[in-house]
Amino acid sequence: MQQSRARLFKEYKEVQREKSADPDIQLVCDDSNIFKWNALIKGPSETPFEGGVFQLAFSVPEQYPLQPPQVRFLTKIFHPNVHFKTGEICLDILKNAWSPAWTLQSVCRAIIALMAHPEPDSPLNCDSGNLLRSGDIRGYQSMARMYTRLAAMPKKG
Amino acid sequence: MHSDSIATNSSNIIPMASSNAKDFAKKKRVNRSAKLKQCKLDARREQWLSKVNKCSSEKEDSNGVRVLGPLSKAGNVQGRAMEKLEIRPRGEEENHGLHIHHYSDSESPSNSPMSHNGSILGGNDSGTTFTGSSRSSVSSSRSSSSSRSGGSCSGSMSEEDEEGDDECLDDWETVADALAATEEKHKPDDHSLDTDTASESKDVAHGDSHPDDATGAAPDDDLKAKPENGISLDRSTVKCRAWRPDDVFRPQSLPNLSKQYSFPMNPERYFGCGGSVWGCKNVRPAPTSCPICYEDLDYTDSSFIPCSCGFKLCLFCHKRILEEDGRCPGCRQQYKNESGKVETLLDGNSLAFRLARSCSMVTRS
Repeated sequence: MQQSRARLFKEYKEVQREKSADPDIQLVCDDSNIFKWNALIKGPSETPFEGGVFQLAFSVPEQYPLQPPQVRFLTKIFHPNVHFKTGEICLDILKNAWSPAWTLQSVCRAIIALMAHPEPDSPLNCDSGNLLRSGDIRGYQSMARMYTRLAAMPKKG
Repeated sequence: MHSDSIATNSSNIIPMASSNAKDFAKKKRVNRSAKLKQCKLDARREQWLSKVNKCSSEKEDSNGVRVLGPLSKAGNVQGRAMEKLEIRPRGEEENHGLHIHHYSDSESPSNSPMSHNGSILGGNDSGTTFTGSSRSSVSSSRSSSSSRSGGSCSGSMSEEDEEGDDECLDDWETVADALAATEEKHKPDDHSLDTDTASESKDVAHGDSHPDDATGAAPDDDLKAKPENGISLDRSTVKCRAWRPDDVFRPQSLPNLSKQYSFPMNPERYFGCGGSVWGCKNVRPAPTSCPICYEDLDYTDSSFIPCSCGFKLCLFCHKRILEEDGRCPGCRQQYKNESGKVETLLDGNSLAFRLARSCSMVTRS
Protein backbone atom coordinates (compact mmCIF):
# COMPACT_ATOMS: atom_id res chain seq x y z
CA MET A 1 0.00 0.00 0.00
CA GLN A 2 2.61 2.42 1.13
CA GLN A 3 4.99 1.33 -1.56
CA SER A 4 2.43 1.65 -4.30
CA ARG A 5 1.53 5.08 -3.05
CA ALA A 6 5.14 6.15 -3.00
CA ARG A 7 5.68 4.83 -6.44
CA LEU A 8 2.58 6.55 -7.78
CA PHE A 9 3.72 9.82 -6.29
CA LYS A 10 7.00 9.40 -8.03
CA GLU A 11 5.25 8.65 -11.27
CA TYR A 12 3.10 11.69 -10.79
CA LYS A 13 6.17 13.84 -10.37
CA GLU A 14 7.68 12.25 -13.43
CA VAL A 15 4.57 13.01 -15.42
CA GLN A 16 4.55 16.60 -14.25
CA ARG A 17 8.18 16.99 -15.09
CA GLU A 18 7.90 15.52 -18.57
CA LYS A 19 4.59 16.95 -19.46
CA SER A 20 5.67 17.95 -22.89
CA ALA A 21 7.85 14.89 -23.42
CA ASP A 22 5.14 12.81 -25.03
CA PRO A 23 2.53 15.02 -26.68
CA ASP A 24 0.32 12.06 -27.44
CA ILE A 25 -0.28 11.22 -23.81
CA GLN A 26 -1.78 13.32 -21.10
CA LEU A 27 -1.87 11.58 -17.77
CA VAL A 28 -3.73 13.15 -14.92
CA CYS A 29 -4.26 11.87 -11.45
CA ASP A 30 -7.53 12.08 -9.63
CA ASP A 31 -7.43 15.01 -7.23
CA SER A 32 -8.49 13.02 -4.23
CA ASN A 33 -7.30 9.53 -5.01
CA ILE A 34 -3.83 8.69 -6.18
CA PHE A 35 -5.04 5.25 -7.21
CA LYS A 36 -7.37 6.67 -9.85
CA TRP A 37 -5.87 8.12 -12.94
CA ASN A 38 -7.18 9.35 -16.23
CA ALA A 39 -5.35 9.60 -19.48
CA LEU A 40 -6.04 11.24 -22.78
CA ILE A 41 -4.28 9.66 -25.70
CA LYS A 42 -4.23 10.74 -29.28
CA GLY A 43 -5.12 8.20 -31.91
CA PRO A 44 -1.99 7.21 -33.81
CA SER A 45 -1.55 8.66 -37.25
CA GLU A 46 -2.24 6.59 -40.35
CA THR A 47 -4.85 4.62 -38.49
CA PRO A 48 -8.60 5.01 -38.44
CA PHE A 49 -8.18 6.53 -35.01
CA GLU A 50 -6.13 9.45 -36.23
CA GLY A 51 -7.43 12.77 -35.02
CA GLY A 52 -9.35 11.25 -32.17
CA VAL A 53 -8.66 11.78 -28.50
CA PHE A 54 -9.42 8.78 -26.35
CA GLN A 55 -9.92 8.82 -22.65
CA LEU A 56 -8.60 6.02 -20.52
CA ALA A 57 -9.43 5.28 -16.92
CA PHE A 58 -6.78 3.73 -14.73
CA SER A 59 -7.57 1.92 -11.56
CA VAL A 60 -4.37 1.12 -9.75
CA PRO A 61 -4.37 -1.80 -7.34
CA GLU A 62 -2.71 -1.56 -3.98
CA GLN A 63 -0.17 -4.15 -5.03
CA TYR A 64 0.99 -1.91 -7.83
CA PRO A 65 3.51 -2.12 -9.37
CA LEU A 66 3.60 -5.83 -8.75
CA GLN A 67 0.07 -6.03 -10.06
CA PRO A 68 -0.84 -4.26 -13.29
CA PRO A 69 -3.21 -1.33 -13.28
CA GLN A 70 -6.67 -1.89 -14.61
CA VAL A 71 -7.23 0.22 -17.68
CA ARG A 72 -10.29 0.71 -19.78
CA PHE A 73 -11.41 3.02 -22.51
CA LEU A 74 -13.95 5.58 -21.45
CA THR A 75 -14.26 6.71 -25.03
CA LYS A 76 -16.07 4.40 -27.38
CA ILE A 77 -13.71 2.76 -29.78
CA PHE A 78 -14.14 0.19 -32.51
CA HIS A 79 -11.13 -2.02 -32.05
CA PRO A 80 -10.88 -5.81 -31.97
CA ASN A 81 -9.09 -5.84 -28.63
CA VAL A 82 -11.31 -3.37 -26.85
CA HIS A 83 -14.68 -4.34 -25.51
CA PHE A 84 -17.15 -2.13 -27.27
CA LYS A 85 -19.41 -1.62 -24.28
CA THR A 86 -17.19 -1.76 -21.23
CA GLY A 87 -14.01 -0.43 -22.81
CA GLU A 88 -12.05 -3.34 -21.38
CA ILE A 89 -8.72 -3.79 -23.07
CA CYS A 90 -7.23 -7.13 -24.00
CA LEU A 91 -3.55 -6.53 -23.78
CA ASP A 92 -1.04 -9.04 -22.53
CA ILE A 93 1.02 -6.53 -20.63
CA LEU A 94 -2.04 -5.63 -18.62
CA LYS A 95 -2.50 -9.27 -17.71
CA ASN A 96 0.12 -11.98 -17.56
CA ALA A 97 2.93 -10.14 -19.28
CA TRP A 98 2.88 -7.27 -16.84
CA SER A 99 6.19 -6.25 -15.47
CA PRO A 100 6.68 -3.99 -12.48
CA ALA A 101 9.12 -2.06 -14.57
CA TRP A 102 6.22 -0.68 -16.57
CA THR A 103 4.68 2.62 -15.66
CA LEU A 104 1.33 4.20 -16.32
CA GLN A 105 3.00 6.22 -19.00
CA SER A 106 4.40 3.15 -20.69
CA VAL A 107 1.01 1.49 -20.45
CA CYS A 108 -0.42 4.41 -22.36
CA ARG A 109 2.23 3.97 -25.01
CA ALA A 110 1.45 0.29 -25.22
CA ILE A 111 -2.21 1.07 -25.73
CA ILE A 112 -1.38 3.50 -28.49
CA ALA A 113 0.69 0.79 -30.10
CA LEU A 114 -2.20 -1.62 -29.73
CA MET A 115 -4.47 0.83 -31.51
CA ALA A 116 -2.09 0.90 -34.42
CA HIS A 117 -1.58 -2.85 -34.44
CA PRO A 118 -4.75 -4.70 -33.54
CA GLU A 119 -4.65 -8.38 -32.66
CA PRO A 120 -7.74 -9.84 -34.31
CA ASP A 121 -6.99 -13.34 -33.03
CA SER A 122 -7.88 -12.54 -29.47
CA PRO A 123 -10.82 -10.25 -29.95
CA LEU A 124 -12.98 -8.66 -27.35
CA ASN A 125 -14.94 -6.96 -30.07
CA CYS A 126 -15.92 -9.86 -32.30
CA ASP A 127 -17.39 -7.73 -35.04
CA SER A 128 -14.22 -5.80 -35.42
CA GLY A 129 -12.11 -8.93 -35.13
CA ASN A 130 -14.14 -10.75 -37.72
CA LEU A 131 -13.83 -7.89 -40.17
CA LEU A 132 -10.10 -8.00 -39.89
CA ARG A 133 -9.86 -11.77 -39.90
CA SER A 134 -11.96 -12.00 -43.00
CA GLY A 135 -9.60 -9.56 -44.63
CA ASP A 136 -12.08 -6.73 -44.86
CA ILE A 137 -9.56 -4.10 -43.97
CA ARG A 138 -11.58 -1.42 -45.62
CA GLY A 139 -14.70 -2.32 -43.72
CA TYR A 140 -12.80 -2.33 -40.45
CA GLN A 141 -11.18 0.99 -41.15
CA SER A 142 -14.38 2.73 -42.09
CA MET A 143 -16.18 1.39 -39.04
CA ALA A 144 -13.32 2.41 -36.79
CA ARG A 145 -13.08 5.83 -38.38
CA MET A 146 -16.79 6.36 -38.01
CA TYR A 147 -16.69 5.61 -34.31
CA THR A 148 -13.64 7.76 -33.92
CA ARG A 149 -15.53 10.66 -35.46
CA LEU A 150 -18.58 9.94 -33.41
CA ALA A 151 -16.98 9.45 -30.07
CA ALA A 152 -13.42 10.70 -30.03
CA MET A 153 -13.60 13.98 -31.90
CA PRO A 154 -15.07 17.26 -30.80
CA LYS A 155 -18.57 17.70 -32.14
CA LYS A 156 -18.81 20.14 -34.97
CA GLY A 157 -21.60 22.55 -34.98
CA MET B 1 19.86 15.78 49.30
CA HIS B 2 17.94 14.85 52.40
CA SER B 3 17.18 11.48 51.10
CA ASP B 4 20.79 11.18 50.23
CA SER B 5 22.03 11.68 53.68
CA ILE B 6 19.40 9.39 55.08
CA ALA B 7 20.29 6.70 52.70
CA THR B 8 23.93 6.95 53.34
CA ASN B 9 23.49 7.21 57.04
CA SER B 10 21.47 4.11 57.25
CA SER B 11 23.83 2.31 55.02
CA ASN B 12 26.76 3.51 57.02
CA ILE B 13 25.33 2.25 60.22
CA ILE B 14 24.41 -1.15 59.05
CA PRO B 15 27.75 -2.16 57.65
CA MET B 16 29.24 -1.45 61.03
CA ALA B 17 27.02 -4.03 62.56
CA SER B 18 27.22 -6.61 59.90
CA SER B 19 30.76 -6.10 58.76
CA ASN B 20 32.20 -8.93 60.78
CA ALA B 21 29.70 -11.51 59.74
CA LYS B 22 29.79 -10.55 56.14
CA ASP B 23 33.42 -9.85 55.94
CA PHE B 24 34.39 -12.84 53.92
CA ALA B 25 31.65 -12.54 51.38
CA LYS B 26 32.26 -8.86 51.31
CA LYS B 27 35.83 -9.19 50.25
CA LYS B 28 35.01 -11.61 47.57
CA ARG B 29 32.26 -9.55 46.21
CA VAL B 30 34.09 -6.32 46.44
CA ASN B 31 36.94 -7.75 44.53
CA ARG B 32 34.72 -8.88 41.78
CA SER B 33 32.64 -5.83 41.58
CA ALA B 34 35.15 -3.20 42.46
CA LYS B 35 36.19 -2.29 38.98
CA LEU B 36 32.80 -2.25 37.44
CA LYS B 37 31.23 -0.43 40.30
CA GLN B 38 33.98 2.06 40.10
CA CYS B 39 33.15 2.81 36.54
CA LYS B 40 29.50 3.17 37.22
CA LEU B 41 30.01 5.19 40.29
CA ASP B 42 32.45 7.50 38.68
CA ALA B 43 29.84 8.57 36.24
CA ARG B 44 27.37 9.00 39.00
CA ARG B 45 29.70 10.80 41.24
CA GLU B 46 30.45 13.29 38.58
CA GLN B 47 26.80 13.92 38.22
CA TRP B 48 26.45 14.39 41.90
CA LEU B 49 29.47 16.54 42.08
CA SER B 50 28.12 18.84 39.51
CA LYS B 51 24.79 18.87 41.25
CA VAL B 52 25.86 18.98 44.81
CA ASN B 53 28.62 21.20 45.91
CA LYS B 54 29.01 19.57 49.23
CA CYS B 55 32.17 17.60 49.06
CA SER B 56 31.51 15.82 52.28
CA SER B 57 28.13 14.55 51.27
CA GLU B 58 29.65 13.39 48.06
CA LYS B 59 32.18 11.32 49.91
CA GLU B 60 29.55 9.83 52.08
CA ASP B 61 27.56 8.95 49.04
CA SER B 62 30.35 7.20 47.38
CA ASN B 63 31.28 5.37 50.52
CA GLY B 64 27.79 4.35 51.20
CA VAL B 65 27.18 3.13 47.75
CA ARG B 66 30.37 1.22 47.60
CA VAL B 67 29.55 -0.64 50.72
CA LEU B 68 26.06 -1.29 49.58
CA GLY B 69 26.97 -4.20 47.38
CA PRO B 70 28.06 -6.55 50.14
CA LEU B 71 25.34 -5.36 52.46
CA SER B 72 22.75 -7.62 53.94
CA LYS B 73 19.50 -7.59 52.07
CA ALA B 74 17.69 -5.49 54.57
CA GLY B 75 20.17 -2.73 54.46
CA ASN B 76 20.47 -3.13 50.79
CA VAL B 77 16.84 -2.71 50.11
CA GLN B 78 16.53 0.18 52.40
CA GLY B 79 19.48 2.00 51.02
CA ARG B 80 18.57 1.25 47.49
CA ALA B 81 15.04 2.27 47.93
CA MET B 82 16.14 5.58 49.20
CA GLU B 83 18.63 5.86 46.47
CA LYS B 84 15.98 5.16 43.94
CA LEU B 85 13.83 7.83 45.37
CA GLU B 86 16.61 10.24 45.23
CA ILE B 87 17.84 9.34 41.83
CA ARG B 88 14.64 9.60 39.96
CA PRO B 89 13.62 13.05 41.06
CA ARG B 90 17.13 14.19 40.45
CA GLY B 91 15.69 14.74 37.12
CA GLU B 92 16.66 14.86 33.57
CA GLU B 93 20.32 15.57 33.70
CA GLU B 94 21.39 12.57 35.61
CA ASN B 95 19.25 10.40 33.49
CA HIS B 96 20.77 11.95 30.48
CA GLY B 97 24.16 11.26 31.78
CA LEU B 98 23.31 7.67 32.43
CA HIS B 99 21.66 7.31 29.12
CA ILE B 100 24.61 8.63 27.33
CA HIS B 101 26.66 6.15 29.18
CA HIS B 102 24.28 3.46 28.28
CA TYR B 103 24.33 4.29 24.63
CA SER B 104 28.00 4.41 24.41
CA ASP B 105 28.06 1.07 26.10
CA SER B 106 25.66 -0.54 23.75
CA GLU B 107 27.13 1.15 20.79
CA SER B 108 30.47 -0.42 20.70
CA PRO B 109 29.29 -3.99 21.10
CA SER B 110 26.88 -3.37 18.30
CA ASN B 111 29.82 -2.31 16.28
CA SER B 112 31.64 -5.44 17.05
CA PRO B 113 29.33 -7.84 15.23
CA MET B 114 29.42 -5.46 12.36
CA SER B 115 33.09 -5.80 12.28
CA HIS B 116 32.78 -9.54 12.47
CA ASN B 117 30.43 -9.62 9.58
CA GLY B 118 32.50 -7.09 7.85
CA SER B 119 35.58 -9.17 8.19
CA ILE B 120 33.71 -12.05 6.69
CA LEU B 121 32.84 -9.89 3.80
CA GLY B 122 36.19 -8.30 3.79
CA GLY B 123 35.25 -4.89 4.97
CA ASN B 124 34.94 -3.93 8.56
CA ASP B 125 34.76 -0.25 8.10
CA SER B 126 31.84 -0.79 5.82
CA GLY B 127 29.15 -0.96 8.40
CA THR B 128 27.41 1.88 6.74
CA THR B 129 27.91 0.61 3.29
CA PHE B 130 25.88 -2.46 3.98
CA THR B 131 22.78 -0.48 4.25
CA GLY B 132 19.70 -2.48 4.70
CA SER B 133 21.88 -5.23 5.94
CA SER B 134 19.18 -6.73 7.95
CA ARG B 135 21.14 -9.66 9.17
CA SER B 136 24.04 -7.79 10.50
CA SER B 137 21.76 -5.40 12.24
CA VAL B 138 19.72 -8.24 13.58
CA SER B 139 22.70 -10.07 14.80
CA SER B 140 24.14 -6.95 16.21
CA SER B 141 20.99 -6.18 18.03
CA ARG B 142 20.88 -9.71 19.25
CA SER B 143 24.39 -9.76 20.47
CA SER B 144 24.12 -6.32 21.83
CA SER B 145 20.89 -7.11 23.54
CA SER B 146 22.85 -8.58 26.34
CA SER B 147 24.95 -5.54 26.47
CA ARG B 148 21.87 -3.40 26.26
CA SER B 149 20.46 -5.10 29.22
CA GLY B 150 23.80 -4.53 30.78
CA GLY B 151 23.55 -0.95 29.79
CA SER B 152 20.16 -0.64 31.26
CA CYS B 153 21.60 -2.13 34.37
CA SER B 154 23.67 0.93 34.74
CA GLY B 155 20.59 3.01 34.28
CA SER B 156 18.56 1.15 36.81
CA MET B 157 21.37 -0.16 38.86
CA SER B 158 19.50 -0.02 42.09
CA GLU B 159 16.83 -2.50 41.09
CA GLU B 160 19.25 -4.83 39.48
CA ASP B 161 21.41 -4.86 42.51
CA GLU B 162 18.49 -5.66 44.67
CA GLU B 163 17.59 -8.66 42.64
CA GLY B 164 20.97 -10.13 42.22
CA ASP B 165 24.29 -8.48 42.12
CA ASP B 166 26.07 -11.32 40.51
CA GLU B 167 23.99 -11.62 37.41
CA CYS B 168 24.28 -8.01 36.68
CA LEU B 169 27.95 -8.01 37.29
CA ASP B 170 28.53 -11.06 35.21
CA ASP B 171 26.77 -9.36 32.40
CA TRP B 172 28.91 -6.37 32.83
CA GLU B 173 32.01 -8.36 32.98
CA THR B 174 31.25 -10.19 29.80
CA VAL B 175 30.31 -7.00 28.13
CA ALA B 176 33.46 -5.35 29.24
CA ASP B 177 35.46 -8.30 28.05
CA ALA B 178 33.69 -8.29 24.74
CA LEU B 179 34.26 -4.61 24.44
CA ALA B 180 37.93 -4.86 25.01
CA ALA B 181 38.27 -7.81 22.71
CA THR B 182 36.34 -6.31 19.86
CA GLU B 183 38.02 -3.01 20.16
CA GLU B 184 41.34 -4.66 19.97
CA LYS B 185 40.19 -6.61 17.00
CA HIS B 186 38.67 -3.68 15.33
CA LYS B 187 41.55 -1.38 15.47
CA PRO B 188 44.26 -3.58 14.04
CA ASP B 189 41.96 -4.58 11.23
CA ASP B 190 41.32 -1.05 10.33
CA HIS B 191 44.93 -0.30 10.46
CA SER B 192 45.91 -3.18 8.31
CA LEU B 193 43.29 -2.28 5.78
CA ASP B 194 44.37 1.28 5.62
CA THR B 195 47.96 0.42 5.34
CA ASP B 196 47.12 -2.16 2.77
CA THR B 197 45.36 0.24 0.52
CA ALA B 198 47.88 2.91 1.11
CA SER B 199 50.81 0.68 0.41
CA GLU B 200 49.13 -0.78 -2.61
CA SER B 201 48.36 2.54 -4.08
CA LYS B 202 51.89 3.59 -3.36
CA ASP B 203 53.14 0.50 -5.03
CA VAL B 204 51.22 1.45 -8.05
CA ALA B 205 52.54 4.93 -7.95
CA HIS B 206 56.04 3.65 -7.84
CA GLY B 207 55.72 0.62 -10.01
CA ASP B 208 53.68 1.79 -12.94
CA SER B 209 54.07 5.22 -14.27
CA HIS B 210 50.74 5.44 -16.03
CA PRO B 211 49.15 8.79 -16.16
CA ASP B 212 46.06 7.39 -14.53
CA ASP B 213 47.95 6.24 -11.55
CA ALA B 214 48.06 9.77 -10.43
CA THR B 215 44.84 8.81 -8.78
CA GLY B 216 46.56 5.98 -7.07
CA ALA B 217 49.44 8.12 -5.96
CA ALA B 218 47.31 10.04 -3.55
CA PRO B 219 45.29 7.49 -1.64
CA ASP B 220 43.11 10.17 -0.15
CA ASP B 221 42.31 11.63 -3.49
CA ASP B 222 41.39 8.41 -5.11
CA LEU B 223 38.72 7.99 -2.52
CA LYS B 224 37.15 11.16 -3.69
CA ALA B 225 37.71 11.19 -7.38
CA LYS B 226 37.11 8.07 -9.43
CA PRO B 227 37.42 5.82 -6.46
CA GLU B 228 36.29 2.68 -8.16
CA ASN B 229 38.62 3.16 -11.01
CA GLY B 230 41.52 4.15 -8.94
CA ILE B 231 41.38 1.28 -6.58
CA SER B 232 40.34 -1.48 -8.88
CA LEU B 233 42.91 -0.22 -11.27
CA ASP B 234 45.48 -0.39 -8.57
CA ARG B 235 44.54 -3.85 -7.62
CA SER B 236 44.50 -5.13 -11.10
CA THR B 237 47.72 -3.54 -12.09
CA VAL B 238 49.51 -4.61 -9.01
CA LYS B 239 48.21 -8.09 -8.54
CA CYS B 240 46.42 -9.33 -11.58
CA ARG B 241 47.78 -7.34 -14.44
CA ALA B 242 44.47 -7.89 -16.12
CA TRP B 243 44.20 -4.42 -17.51
CA ARG B 244 47.77 -3.90 -18.25
CA PRO B 245 47.59 -3.49 -22.00
CA ASP B 246 44.98 -0.80 -22.14
CA ASP B 247 45.48 0.59 -18.73
CA VAL B 248 45.29 4.10 -19.93
CA PHE B 249 41.80 3.71 -21.21
CA ARG B 250 40.42 1.94 -18.24
CA PRO B 251 39.20 4.85 -16.20
CA GLN B 252 37.09 6.19 -18.99
CA SER B 253 35.45 2.94 -19.77
CA LEU B 254 35.11 1.69 -16.24
CA PRO B 255 32.18 3.73 -15.10
CA ASN B 256 30.19 2.42 -18.00
CA LEU B 257 30.90 -1.13 -17.02
CA SER B 258 28.29 -2.49 -14.79
CA LYS B 259 29.45 -4.04 -11.60
CA GLN B 260 28.79 -7.50 -12.83
CA TYR B 261 31.83 -7.17 -15.03
CA SER B 262 34.02 -5.81 -12.37
CA PHE B 263 33.10 -8.48 -9.89
CA PRO B 264 34.21 -11.72 -11.44
CA MET B 265 37.49 -10.23 -12.42
CA ASN B 266 39.02 -11.18 -9.15
CA PRO B 267 36.42 -12.07 -6.62
CA GLU B 268 38.86 -13.00 -3.92
CA ARG B 269 40.54 -9.70 -4.03
CA TYR B 270 37.26 -7.98 -3.78
CA PHE B 271 36.37 -10.19 -0.92
CA GLY B 272 39.60 -9.40 0.77
CA CYS B 273 39.47 -5.71 0.26
CA GLY B 274 35.76 -5.37 0.14
CA GLY B 275 35.82 -2.72 2.77
CA SER B 276 37.54 -0.12 0.77
CA VAL B 277 35.84 -1.08 -2.44
CA TRP B 278 32.39 -0.92 -0.99
CA GLY B 279 33.27 2.24 0.74
CA CYS B 280 34.21 3.77 -2.52
CA LYS B 281 30.89 3.02 -4.09
CA ASN B 282 29.84 5.77 -1.81
CA VAL B 283 31.09 8.32 -4.26
CA ARG B 284 29.62 6.91 -7.40
CA PRO B 285 28.87 9.68 -9.80
CA ALA B 286 25.19 9.08 -10.48
CA PRO B 287 23.21 6.81 -8.21
CA THR B 288 20.45 5.30 -10.24
CA SER B 289 17.08 4.54 -8.83
CA CYS B 290 15.20 1.32 -8.60
CA PRO B 291 12.92 1.05 -11.60
CA ILE B 292 10.23 -0.54 -9.49
CA CYS B 293 9.92 1.70 -6.48
CA TYR B 294 11.90 4.62 -7.90
CA GLU B 295 13.89 4.80 -4.71
CA ASP B 296 17.58 5.42 -5.01
CA LEU B 297 19.72 2.36 -5.15
CA ASP B 298 22.28 2.11 -2.42
CA TYR B 299 25.56 0.26 -2.71
CA THR B 300 24.02 -3.02 -1.82
CA ASP B 301 21.26 -2.62 -4.34
CA SER B 302 23.37 -1.32 -7.15
CA SER B 303 25.67 -4.30 -6.90
CA PHE B 304 22.79 -6.71 -6.67
CA ILE B 305 22.01 -8.31 -9.99
CA PRO B 306 19.52 -11.08 -9.37
CA CYS B 307 18.84 -12.01 -12.96
CA SER B 308 21.05 -12.95 -15.83
CA CYS B 309 19.40 -10.29 -17.96
CA GLY B 310 21.15 -7.73 -15.82
CA PHE B 311 17.99 -6.01 -14.70
CA LYS B 312 18.75 -4.21 -11.50
CA LEU B 313 16.36 -3.50 -8.75
CA CYS B 314 16.52 -2.86 -5.08
CA LEU B 315 16.54 -5.71 -2.62
CA PHE B 316 13.19 -4.74 -1.20
CA CYS B 317 11.45 -4.91 -4.54
CA HIS B 318 13.26 -8.10 -5.38
CA LYS B 319 11.98 -9.65 -2.21
CA ARG B 320 8.48 -8.47 -2.90
CA ILE B 321 8.60 -9.92 -6.38
CA LEU B 322 9.90 -13.21 -5.08
CA GLU B 323 7.00 -13.31 -2.70
CA GLU B 324 4.62 -12.84 -5.61
CA ASP B 325 5.34 -14.44 -8.95
CA GLY B 326 9.12 -14.38 -8.81
CA ARG B 327 9.65 -13.18 -12.34
CA CYS B 328 12.30 -10.73 -13.29
CA PRO B 329 10.72 -7.44 -14.32
CA GLY B 330 13.31 -7.01 -17.02
CA CYS B 331 12.93 -10.22 -18.96
CA ARG B 332 9.82 -11.71 -17.33
CA GLN B 333 11.69 -14.93 -16.76
CA GLN B 334 11.45 -16.77 -13.51
CA TYR B 335 14.27 -15.93 -11.19
CA LYS B 336 16.63 -18.84 -10.97
CA ASN B 337 17.19 -21.05 -7.98
CA GLU B 338 19.98 -18.90 -6.75
CA SER B 339 17.59 -16.08 -6.53
CA GLY B 340 15.29 -18.33 -4.63
CA LYS B 341 18.03 -18.83 -2.15
CA VAL B 342 18.39 -15.14 -1.95
CA GLU B 343 14.81 -14.99 -0.94
CA THR B 344 15.24 -17.31 1.95
CA LEU B 345 18.52 -15.85 2.96
CA LEU B 346 17.79 -12.31 2.14
CA ASP B 347 18.19 -11.36 5.72
CA GLY B 348 21.69 -12.69 5.48
CA ASN B 349 23.12 -9.86 3.60
CA SER B 350 26.46 -11.42 3.12
CA LEU B 351 24.80 -14.31 1.40
CA ALA B 352 22.83 -12.00 -0.79
CA PHE B 353 26.07 -10.43 -1.75
CA ARG B 354 27.69 -13.68 -2.48
CA LEU B 355 24.78 -14.79 -4.54
CA ALA B 356 24.62 -11.57 -6.39
CA ARG B 357 28.19 -12.09 -7.19
CA SER B 358 27.70 -15.62 -8.30
CA CYS B 359 24.80 -14.54 -10.43
CA SER B 360 26.90 -11.93 -12.05
CA MET B 361 29.47 -14.56 -12.79
CA VAL B 362 26.82 -16.62 -14.40
CA THR B 363 25.85 -13.75 -16.59
CA ARG B 364 29.35 -13.27 -17.64
CA SER B 365 30.15 -16.82 -18.60
